[in-house]
Amino acid sequence: MVTTTVEKIRELSAQLLKDKKVDMVIGFQKGSLPMSNEPVMVKRPADVDKLVWDSHCSVNLASYLTDRKEKIGVIAKGCDTRNIATHIIENKISREQLTIIGVPCSGMIDRRKVMNAVGFEIKELIEESDRVIAKGDDAEKRFNKAEILQENCAVCSHPNPVLFDELVSDPVEVKEGIDRYADVREIEAMETDAKWAYFEDLLSNCIRCYACRNACPLCYCPTCFVDESEPQWVGKSSDAVDTRTFHFLRAYHCAGRCTDCGSCERVCPMGIKMRAFTRKLEKDCLESFNWQAGLNIEQRPPLDSFNPADPDQFVK
Amino acid sequence: MGIEKDRLHFSWISSAEATKFVDVVNKVTASVKALGPAKRFIKAG
Amino acid sequence: MIKIQKQDWEKGLEKLKSGYELFGPVVDKDAWEFRKLEPDQLPVLGMANTRLSAKSTVFPQSQVMFRYSLEPSKEDSGGMQAEGLDVKPRAVLGIRPCDAASFQLVKKNFDNREYPDPYWVKPFEQTTFIGFACDQPLQTCFCTSVGGGPYGEAGLDLLFSENGDHFIAKALTEKGDILAKAAGWQTEGDAAELEAKRVAAEKKISTTVATDRIKTSSVLDLFNAPFWEEIAFACLNCGTCTFSCPTCWCFDIQDEVKGTEGKRMRNWDSCMFPLFTLEGSGHNPRPKKEQRVRQRFMHKLKYYPDKYGSDVQCVGCGRCIQLCPVNIDIRQVCESMNNL
Repeated sequence: MVTTTVEKIRELSAQLLKDKKVDMVIGFQKGSLPMSNEPVMVKRPADVDKLVWDSHCSVNLASYLTDRKEKIGVIAKGCDTRNIATHIIENKISREQLTIIGVPCSGMIDRRKVMNAVGFEIKELIEESDRVIAKGDDAEKRFNKAEILQENCAVCSHPNPVLFDELVSDPVEVKEGIDRYADVREIEAMETDAKWAYFEDLLSNCIRCYACRNACPLCYCPTCFVDESEPQWVGKSSDAVDTRTFHFLRAYHCAGRCTDCGSCERVCPMGIKMRAFTRKLEKDCLESFNWQAGLNIEQRPPLDSFNPADPDQFVK
Repeated sequence: MGIEKDRLHFSWISSAEATKFVDVVNKVTASVKALGPAKRFIKAG
Repeated sequence: MIKIQKQDWEKGLEKLKSGYELFGPVVDKDAWEFRKLEPDQLPVLGMANTRLSAKSTVFPQSQVMFRYSLEPSKEDSGGMQAEGLDVKPRAVLGIRPCDAASFQLVKKNFDNREYPDPYWVKPFEQTTFIGFACDQPLQTCFCTSVGGGPYGEAGLDLLFSENGDHFIAKALTEKGDILAKAAGWQTEGDAAELEAKRVAAEKKISTTVATDRIKTSSVLDLFNAPFWEEIAFACLNCGTCTFSCPTCWCFDIQDEVKGTEGKRMRNWDSCMFPLFTLEGSGHNPRPKKEQRVRQRFMHKLKYYPDKYGSDVQCVGCGRCIQLCPVNIDIRQVCESMNNL
């Protein structure tokens, strides 16, 4: 009998809790809305049946590990494990505390994309491997999963966990020939005025709720630069200049650390595609330092360490 | 981002390189003046 | 009761422009938001609801309270010039009954005896609310559980319902009568038509919550309940719920100063943010996420009803459920609190 991913997750979690190898397991439980799951902390073996796994387990669970003191089992997909690696390097959690239950990932579904593509209220979403059916009261629409993936998942280069103690299923095939930066290059190629206008439009409805920052596992500063008032670096209103500053400066703080997990875009209530900023910096780090974040816990990131070979052609 | 390239310059100048300092300051000043007053990233009143 | 043909609706809006500033739902990227209408813009009716609530029509996200200048050359140098208090009459069109009812709840806070807030009260008093009843409630709408309904009348001056080629409308207040006259909407309509639609819409509400036992439970029992850790675990403290909620009213006042000139601004703030309760001394009474999450639900469902002797501080619009990125559901929290 083939054990499904969910069954394996529950089996492993129950065992870890029974053996007291961990104090808690962090994963997802079924949400109260279609296409939505809620991060959950399971402390008793009897409760592992709460744990689910499907294409709506998008929020990066590494955010829930920051500065915790317990022994933790965490269900992690490719991008999550890269952020866990970064957390370890940055001393936000120790490797010894964690038992990483790795889940090879075939991509998460973009809830907003699906909702915008149907003309009815979705009451249920059924997944049948690569096919998805969105059901309303008296209408339904079918999709290929590939059409409705989150944008970061569509260009994912590391779907398989890079750091793990257990793997619940066979590694998935990494897509060949993905161009991660086609849209970034398009923006790079824009004329100055067009570029300014592009970002003006992108951020026009930002309400400064900071959901993007809070969902990001990298954003753990006790006082974020936007909250600082002595000195006040950035204004707190919805002023366009302050808003733009928040977004691009946050992206800079994530440079060389961001794994493009997509949580920022996922959680934004206004549907802002702010990955435009982080992916530009990701591309720059790759091209300048041949660096991808969180692939192992031995190497220090480029913005953390000096190498004589670091590019300096721009310094006159 | 949409700010003119010639407003941002990087240079490495030692305190012993006075001539270079003068040179760079003049070049940067001329480069930025040629663009005129900055209109972007200035907060409205 | 008034009957308005669809073409007379548009003609009426045109007539209103001379006496009212018009606000209504308009398209914003892939959703709808309440905005002041552009000269040729019509409000969009019939979409489920706006992404953020209508509270921004009276209580904008960022607002200048006053400006000052110390420039000797300026006439008003050394003084402060208030802004935002000279409000012209406005009409908020196409507001859902839940959002309209929310203003009544929020009014208790801003229009109080001791410290009425002119920045909220002025725009509120100048506004005529023209409601648009719901015929297709969403699965997250629980207005009927909190004293409202898809055809609820609280906080509205006029209530419209769409019926094929026309609207059937009910004037609820004097303000509503005045506006209907100004728009030329005077044709007699059939009360039974509206009533039938109300009954049909209420049948479509599919989700309910019970909050009756929260009122009678002790504050400390609820405060010290064991379920808060579990409820708060997933929360990112992102502020989405507070910003989209029609009954959330917290704000932060800040000065922005540039040399000898400055302004005092009011911006939406959120009890979800760690700095919300940070005091000048450096002490923070709610440093932990769990405390902040508990605070929000206790405020909505217990402190407000206790303080004002009324129903909960929630209109059942369901935005927090739809928008919460980690699917924390206020209906589940109500259940936990009600079944203590």
